Formats: sequence, structure tokens, C-alpha cells
Amino acid sequence: MRLHRMFLVGLIGALLIGATALAQEPVTITFWHAMSSGHQPNLQKLADDFMAEYPYITVELVYQGGYGDLQQKINAAVVGKNLPTIAQVYENWVTPIAEILYPIGPHMTDEEKADIIDGLVESNTYNDVLTTLPFNKSIMVFYYRTDLVPTPPSTWEEYLAMARDLTVDEDGDGRIDRYGTGFRPAANPEQFLTLLEQAGGSILNEDWSEVTIDNDAGLAAMQFAADLTPYSFVTGEYMSDHFPYKVCMFIDTSAGYYYNNRAAQNKGVEMGVARVPAGPANQKSMIQGTNVAVFDTDYITQAQKEAGTLLARFLIRAENTVFWAIKGGYQPVTKSAYETDEWIEFVAGHDYQIAMSEQMLDGFSQILHPYYGDMRSIIATGYEEVMMGVSTPRQALDEIAAEIEPLLED
Amino acid sequence: MEASRSAQYYIARQRVYRLILYLLLFAGCAIMLLPFIWMLTTSLKSSVAVLQMPPQWIPRDWAWSNYPRAWSVAPFGRYFFNSFFISITTTIGEVITTILAAYAFAKMRFFGKNLLFAGLLATLMIPGEMLLIPNYVTIVNLGWLDRYQALIIPWIVSVFGIFLLRQFFRSIPDELWDSARIDGCRRLRFLWQIVVPLSKPAILTVALFKFLGSWNAYQWVLIMTNTEGMRTVPVGLQLFSSEVGTAYELLMAASVLAIIPVLLLFFFAQKQFIQGIARTGIK
Repeated sequence: MRLHRMFLVGLIGALLIGATALAQEPVTITFWHAMSSGHQPNLQKLADDFMAEYPYITVELVYQGGYGDLQQKINAAVVGKNLPTIAQVYENWVTPIAEILYPIGPHMTDEEKADIIDGLVESNTYNDVLTTLPFNKSIMVFYYRTDLVPTPPSTWEEYLAMARDLTVDEDGDGRIDRYGTGFRPAANPEQFLTLLEQAGGSILNEDWSEVTIDNDAGLAAMQFAADLTPYSFVTGEYMSDHFPYKVCMFIDTSAGYYYNNRAAQNKGVEMGVARVPAGPANQKSMIQGTNVAVFDTDYITQAQKEAGTLLARFLIRAENTVFWAIKGGYQPVTKSAYETDEWIEFVAGHDYQIAMSEQMLDGFSQILHPYYGDMRSIIATGYEEVMMGVSTPRQALDEIAAEIEPLLED
Repeated sequence: MEASRSAQYYIARQRVYRLILYLLLFAGCAIMLLPFIWMLTTSLKSSVAVLQMPPQWIPRDWAWSNYPRAWSVAPFGRYFFNSFFISITTTIGEVITTILAAYAFAKMRFFGKNLLFAGLLATLMIPGEMLLIPNYVTIVNLGWLDRYQALIIPWIVSVFGIFLLRQFFRSIPDELWDSARIDGCRRLRFLWQIVVPLSKPAILTVALFKFLGSWNAYQWVLIMTNTEGMRTVPVGLQLFSSEVGTAYELLMAASVLAIIPVLLLFFFAQKQFIQGIARTGIK
């Protein structure tokens, strides 16, 4: 009997040790990213901290060029059956291949899920399951020269009036030397999508069965863009290349703060950051940036998927998303992150973050339509035509709607 | 007296023509050199001075530290080694394959020659982007992903090079082959001992184009490699750009370093390069 008991205890102990050993079996995961040299040390630190907490997991960070290159590499890897464990992704990259995403949500606690900023939840949810997690996010804010704009505009009407007053032909040669504002319609249609949201509009209706961008709200947004056109420097280049001497104020991503501020310092002027002027319906602005996705294929082991999930959850922990935001110029992606001492102290020491934080907590993301990428391109073209004075708002919206319509039928 | 006045007038007119010509050449030279001068001066500016208006053509504060800073961003030593290794091996490989193929198309008769050549030329019309994913799948299936084979073997053949050399070989008289054949010379020996020495400028042109193309290759290297140890200089240059801005001063510093080997190559081989381009069209 005693022997029997000892045997049972030994067996249970062996099983436990075996289970522990299996759970701790070394696993290596690859993380494809598009973070340039300035961000890489910060990403490496996060990976090192993660590996210190989970010693059996090795994270291989693989730089894959810019976002366009990364997207191309992911597309090639899908076909070539060579996907990494986890990657930085834009929503429209993976929406068409959502079936090979490994849902992270089911591995999270309810508190973790509830902590994600509201505007980021929907854009990471596929088939009603939280599948990806937000990573390096930025928010559209309003940059302005404090010497020429003592109080930033708080409404569309004020924005238009100020842009008009600030647009000058300094040498009287008939050509504008300084524009009140600037836009990058082809490169950043998110500027228009922000106006659309602020007008109470949307690209599609709730169940995606109908195009609504050309309704009254859409027209109001596009008309506002058209009204700004005479006072806008329209370019495809970075706005920091033209601020502050050619452009006095503009809507741009918070991630561009370092470059915009440097441009202001070049001219010896102070730059301010404010919330985007409010439209008729609200003062929201669009969240940009990538998420992290774990891939679910037969050549990625279950252990790797779970390790990738752990890494994704690690990255959105309050202390880590704050670290990433402070170091990289991004915004934290969870609500609790904004309440940490570290973030509060950072905001206190960096005034511009007040507006960015407020705007982020009130942000919205893109829709997860499989053809959102195509819709974005169509909208960018129409928006640019309006900003270049080639189309009227009505014409542009009609064309946009006509081109998006067939995408709903697929 | 009259003759002397005419001669003076002629000399004066020639001087004026020459002056205008030199002014035009100088203007053209300045336009071509301007981007390089801008690159060099920007590489020595501080980040604040880079986009200052009016622009600083000569930096007020010389930021020599941009060079070691740029170098330390990534393992550029390894990137340069890879760039040299891949460029040299693909150049040697392409020269060999191109000489063989161009000679066959120029001087030999075989069934389907013209159709085959037309087919080869047609492949030049296919955009590279269309072939990227199928090629990636092929490389993965061959087990060459992230290895030198992927970066070298697909690039040791060039249809453009075959076309260029074929045109040049066609200008070599057939009588040379007839005489050589009478003396018992076979095709391969004739090719390497007679045709190739006569075609040095054209072959050097092919080699230079190939070296430049391999040196500057970015997308293929990025797609076909995953590890830092396999990347090349152009991929390294991408590290200075992000979605919201570019560190121009560091990018220019790295670009200056990247362009030095190519500039040296051109300076030493420019005579043959220009000869090769000029003579490929002459019958």
C-alpha cells in the first residue's frame, strides 16, 4: 500500500515536472516590423524585457523596410507559406486574409480587453472576436505657429477664417508666398476622413450594404475641404518640409511631432499642438498606425502562436505602451496607460501631449471592410481632385460613390 | 591685308563659339553636379540646418559626426561586404552568360533563333512587380530564402545585356570567323580569343550596368532576405526614413558612403563605358 502511494506520488510529480518542462519548452518567434532606425532600439528593449519575463521564448525582430515593403513581404509570404509568427499590420492588409489570423482576444482577460481605447476595439475585431491588438498608434492633431495663431481654431468656421487671413502674397507678385494651411490629400486621405467623421458622415452605412459618403454629411465635409482650397498648400511631401514658412497650420499625425517641431525651430518659431477643430457633429479625429497580428497557419506551431499572443498582450501593458509612446512619439493604446504616473509626468513636461492625449481618447479608426484599401485610394483621388480645384465636391463625391459601389457587390 | 583680317575674324568667331559651348557645358555640368553637391553638404549639416530656408549651401556648423552616427545605425560593414560580394559575383556571372548567349544569337544559326530572341525581348515588357510574388514562392521552394543563392543566381542573366552584346557582335565581320575556321578554330575558341578581345568596350558596358544594378538593388534583397547579415547597403539606407519623416543628414551621409565605390568605378572605366554605348549601334 505504501509502495502504491509512493508510486502514485512519483507519477504525479513526474507528470507535473513533464508538463512544466513541456510548457517551458524553448520556442522562437519572429516579429516582422517596419520600425526605422530611431525606433528599433526601443522595440529591442521591449523584446528584451519580454524575453526576460518569458525566458523560454526567443523573439527575433526582423526589419522589413517601410510599410509598403512590409505589406509586400507579407503578401508574398502568404503565398510562399513563409509568414512570421507575429507582424505589424495595417487593418486593410489583413482584412482580406482574416481567416489566417490567430485571435488574441480569447487569450485575454476581460479587464485587458476593456482597457483598450474604445476607438481601437472595432478595428481590431474580426467576426466579433478581438483578433489583433493595437500597437504603434498616432492621432491626427492640429499643428500651428503660435506667433501667427495665438489661439488655435476650435471650429471649422474659425479654421476657415484664420486660413484666409493667414494666406498672403508677401511680395505682391500675384503668387501666394504663405498659405494659411496645408493638406496632403493623396498621401493622407485620413485628413478628409477626419472631416467626414466630424460632419457626422461615413463611407458606408452600418451593415456595409450602402455607400453613404456622398450624402449631406459627406458633401459638407468635402465642401469644407473645397472652401479651404484657396488657402491651402497642397502637396504630396511631408508637411514638415514646408512648415512653418509656407504653411502656418495644418492637420497631421501626432507621430510627426518631432519633424514638425524641428521645422518650426529652424525658423525660430514656436509650434503649438491643439485638438483638430470641431466639425458640425463632433471633434473626433482619425487614429492611424498599425496593429500586431499573430498568424494561424499549419507551419506555425501552437506554441509559437501562444508565444506570439503573449508578446502582443505584453506590448499593450500600460507600462510598455507608455514606454513605446514616450520613446517613439506614438500614443498609448490603453485607457489605464493614460493614468499611470509615468504618462502623467510625461504630459506635464510636454504640453503638446495634452491635446494629443485628449484627441486619442476620442479617436476613431478605419472600418474593416475587405476592400477598405481600394476605397481609401478612391477617396484619396477624389479628395485630391477637389483640393487641386479639378473637381467640385459634388462631382468628386459622385465619382467616389460610383467607384466604391461595385466593391460592395463582391 | 584682307586675308589677315579674314583670318582674325575667323579666329575671333571660333573663340566666341568655343566660349558659348563651354558656358553651355558648364551649365549642364552644374545641373548634373548639383544633386551630388547637395548630398555632400547635407551630410555635413545638423538636423536643424537640413531644411533651413534659405538653404545653407555651405554648412555653418560642420557635423562630421553624421558619418559615424550613420554608420552605427546598422551593420553597414556587413552591408557593404554583401553589396560588393553580390555585385561582383552577379557581374562576373552575367558577363559570362551574356557573352555566350549574345554570340549564339548574333553569329550562329539554329532553329527558332529569331523566335527565341523575340521571346526574350518580350520578357523585358513584363513589370518586375508582377513577378515578385511568383519569384518569391520559387525561391522559398528552392530553399534559397535568406541565402546568397537567392541574391545571385537569378541575376546572372540579363536580357538587356544579351541584346546589347548581340548588337555589338553583329558588327564583327563574318570573314573573321571564316578565316579562323579555315585554320581549324572552333566556335568557343574563336569567341574567347578573338571576339571577346575585340568587344571589350561593349562587355565592360554590360559589366558596368550590371554592377550598378546589383549595387542599387533594394526590393529584391529586402523581399528575399530576413536577417541583417544578408542585407545590402540600399536596404540599410531605408532605415533613415520613417512614415512621418526622414533623417536627411544621416541618410545623405550614408548615401555618400554608398556612392563612393560606384563613382570610383565610373571614373576608372568611363572611357570604355562611353565607347561601349557609342559602338553598340555601329555596323
